[in-house]
Amino acid sequence: MLFRKAKKNRKLNSKQGADKASSTSAPPFGEKEVVENLDEMIELIFQLLGENADFVTRELTIFGEYRAAVFFMSSLVDQAEIHQQIMKPLMILPDDLSFDEILQTDIIPIIANESLYHSEVSLESSTAALVDAILIGETVVVIEGKRQAFRIDTRNIAKRSVTAPETEQVIIGPREGFIEQIETNMGLLRYRLPNRAFCIKTTKLGKLTKTTVAICYVKGVTNQKIVQEVEQRLSQIDIDATLDVGTIEQFIEDNSFSPFPQTYLAERPDSTIGNLMEGRVAILVDGSPFALLVPVVFNQFYQTMEDYTSRFLLGSFTRVIRVLALVFSIVVPSLYVSLISFNPELFPTQFAVAVAGGRAGVPFPAVIEVLLLEGAMEVLREATIRLPTQIGSALSIVGVLIIGQAAVEAGFSSPITIVVIALTTISSFATPVYSASFAFRILRFPLIILAGRFGLYGVVIGILFIFNHMLSLRSFGVPYMSPVAPGNAQGMKDVVIRSPFQWMTKRPAFLHPLDRDRVGSKDE
Amino acid sequence: MSNSREITAVEAAAILINSVLGIGILNMPRFMVEAAGTGAPIVTIIGVLFVFISVWGITKLGMSFPTQSIVQYSERIIGKWLGRAYIFIAIIVFIFAAGLLLREFSEVLNTAVLFETPIEVSALVILFLAAYFTRDSLNTFAYIHLFYAPFIFIPGIIIAALSIPKYNYLYLQPLFRVEVNEWFTGITSMAPMFQGVFVLTIIIPFMKQPGLVMKASFWGTALAGGVYVITVISALAIAGPEELKTMMWPALEHARSVEVPGNFLERLGIVFLITWVIAVFTTIFSYYMIIVNVLRQLFRTQDHRMFSFFLFPLIFGVAMIPENVVQLYKGEMAKIVNWMGVMFLMGFPLLLVIVMKLRGLPLKGSGKKSD
Repeated sequence: MLFRKAKKNRKLNSKQGADKASSTSAPPFGEKEVVENLDEMIELIFQLLGENADFVTRELTIFGEYRAAVFFMSSLVDQAEIHQQIMKPLMILPDDLSFDEILQTDIIPIIANESLYHSEVSLESSTAALVDAILIGETVVVIEGKRQAFRIDTRNIAKRSVTAPETEQVIIGPREGFIEQIETNMGLLRYRLPNRAFCIKTTKLGKLTKTTVAICYVKGVTNQKIVQEVEQRLSQIDIDATLDVGTIEQFIEDNSFSPFPQTYLAERPDSTIGNLMEGRVAILVDGSPFALLVPVVFNQFYQTMEDYTSRFLLGSFTRVIRVLALVFSIVVPSLYVSLISFNPELFPTQFAVAVAGGRAGVPFPAVIEVLLLEGAMEVLREATIRLPTQIGSALSIVGVLIIGQAAVEAGFSSPITIVVIALTTISSFATPVYSASFAFRILRFPLIILAGRFGLYGVVIGILFIFNHMLSLRSFGVPYMSPVAPGNAQGMKDVVIRSPFQWMTKRPAFLHPLDRDRVGSKDE
Repeated sequence: MSNSREITAVEAAAILINSVLGIGILNMPRFMVEAAGTGAPIVTIIGVLFVFISVWGITKLGMSFPTQSIVQYSERIIGKWLGRAYIFIAIIVFIFAAGLLLREFSEVLNTAVLFETPIEVSALVILFLAAYFTRDSLNTFAYIHLFYAPFIFIPGIIIAALSIPKYNYLYLQPLFRVEVNEWFTGITSMAPMFQGVFVLTIIIPFMKQPGLVMKASFWGTALAGGVYVITVISALAIAGPEELKTMMWPALEHARSVEVPGNFLERLGIVFLITWVIAVFTTIFSYYMIIVNVLRQLFRTQDHRMFSFFLFPLIFGVAMIPENVVQLYKGEMAKIVNWMGVMFLMGFPLLLVIVMKLRGLPLKGSGKKSD
């Protein structure tokens, strides 16, 4: 054991990532070292990977003298690059060296320092690590008679180009969205924040997938306790496959049974940077086009990037509209049910007559009618999500217009109920974050049932329960309803309206940022 | 991130307001008018002044022992067993007070909106709502109160303002009717509404700046007392002393009669009722939280969830004792509970302050000790 450790330390310039990979994996052939016999090495690696169609082994003679073998996965690399950058310099002796020099000295430093034109080259002595390296797209060069092998980062994976984000669309603002590859995403962030305080730490997560997970934050702004908490929660995850950031979200959130999202999934680099600058931590996962932002507070879920990029009045107005839509999407159906069933006297007289007339032929009590239609609406919505766009729009026209019209004409429901359901559904689309609008979609149903049973009292009790729950939630130690409760005057300027930047000179206090100042005046 | 001393002065004031404003808004005008006729507003103001003295006593105690619970310092001041006996009585009084409050709430609901729902069901619903969230920490308790305070306060002020055109100022006269025993009845019948100030004893050890607690207590009591005074004045000015005596819940009647400019809601009573449900919820929640926390301190455990579970049937049982509304208001139980409340929750802390001063407590350095 001690011997092996000592050997590992002798590595020339090993990458940190490689260390992790070798220590976390325990393949059946154990921690076997690289042996001097080349044929044995080829045999060993071939046994493990030879079945794969995209596995390539190429034997060659370095400088016409040393036997060697090159291994890589053809699906993960750019083969032309290997030909030009690895094979060619290995076969041709550099001009400034004589053949005698090569025979006398150790060949490994010569290859590393003078032959290979690649920037990311390291030495590895563990076979397991070499196999892992091949599997992530690196090229491995094993040389006869040497106890160390080269690994060269040649990873080149097909990726889509950076396109406009699907989920957080804006009219005015940048058009960039994250893509699946974590390197590109890190680049998109660095490009917007080229500052040495911006820190990206990576780690591997998932026993089998060994997915790269990056923790990003701004030093000197983000409270270190939050960073530590994130690192600690990530380190406790023990899972075989990390497929998406959504998997991680479920492991690190505070309350798994709450309908409310306790993390924010951002698809936009600009909003991610905005959040980082407020003192949050972003978690990127390789293979996922979303950044996971923590800690979050509730008011983030009805804010958009556009609130900040457009002018104060416009931004504030659209935000107020969104708050209104949020309120509509949760209380309108239950208010309607409770007023119809318990307090029709609250309607102005003419309207009350119209409502009663519309409901004359409807065979169910209001609560059943609304529940049925809301259920139908949810089915319709779920059905259209999975369909191709062309069919989806046709279906929604059939579903909404024709079924709605027919339901009224058949005496199945009253026209005002259709109006109420339509208003609710449209309002729920105005919530910019899907996970938050989903919380309200779910909570609508218990409220309708409470309204049907207890009238307005039931609705009030239900809403109190929801508020109490939200007030008791915490996301990474930050109360969910901050900055409303606990109150914070500076944060309140950015809750219902988006105040002008001149007013918001400080970062929100609920994230306990180390540096409070956001907007200063140059005159000082 | 979460340390235990997080409650701010504003939150403390909000807690105090919400714990005091509750069921009383509905029936206090009747109590006061029954006691003092047109002198009701003056008697209410004097009553609020008396409440100030009690609040001062409770705050003084809390500030003298900023890290200790009421259990610990009452044991220190009047001795171990006397102190424990006092706490025990206070808890019993609070259980009964919470039960009666709950019953009164469901009676109003039953009379005003839910005619066919059994009172047991409407009581269970709101009690469950309160009990469920007593399992959370005192910080959450503070957030909940801070959040709801504007929802109670602002509609209350709007309704009061909208009712001003209906005032008949003749009903308010004569303002001063000096009959001391009437005043005494008035004050003792309004004091139980202010039992909630006892909540200060559990929140002071959790305050971020215990130095600001006196300010918070003052503002909390002043605002809550102000709302009560306005309620009494407007009820009296609208209906007059004689008619008021015949109304069970005068404020509800008045809110129903207020008209909204713009004619989009036919009646405002329901909006008032919503506000009032929130106000009663916060009061029951406070009472429940006080009992649960004092019990936790009495048994010196860290976990208070167990108590919120066991208290549920107790409070509900007490609420179901009175057979009808008449017994609820005029019965022996209500009288005893109100008297005990005034004596033990509001009067006794003053006695503790006096004993504390006589004994020269807190000794130097003893205040730093915490459980």
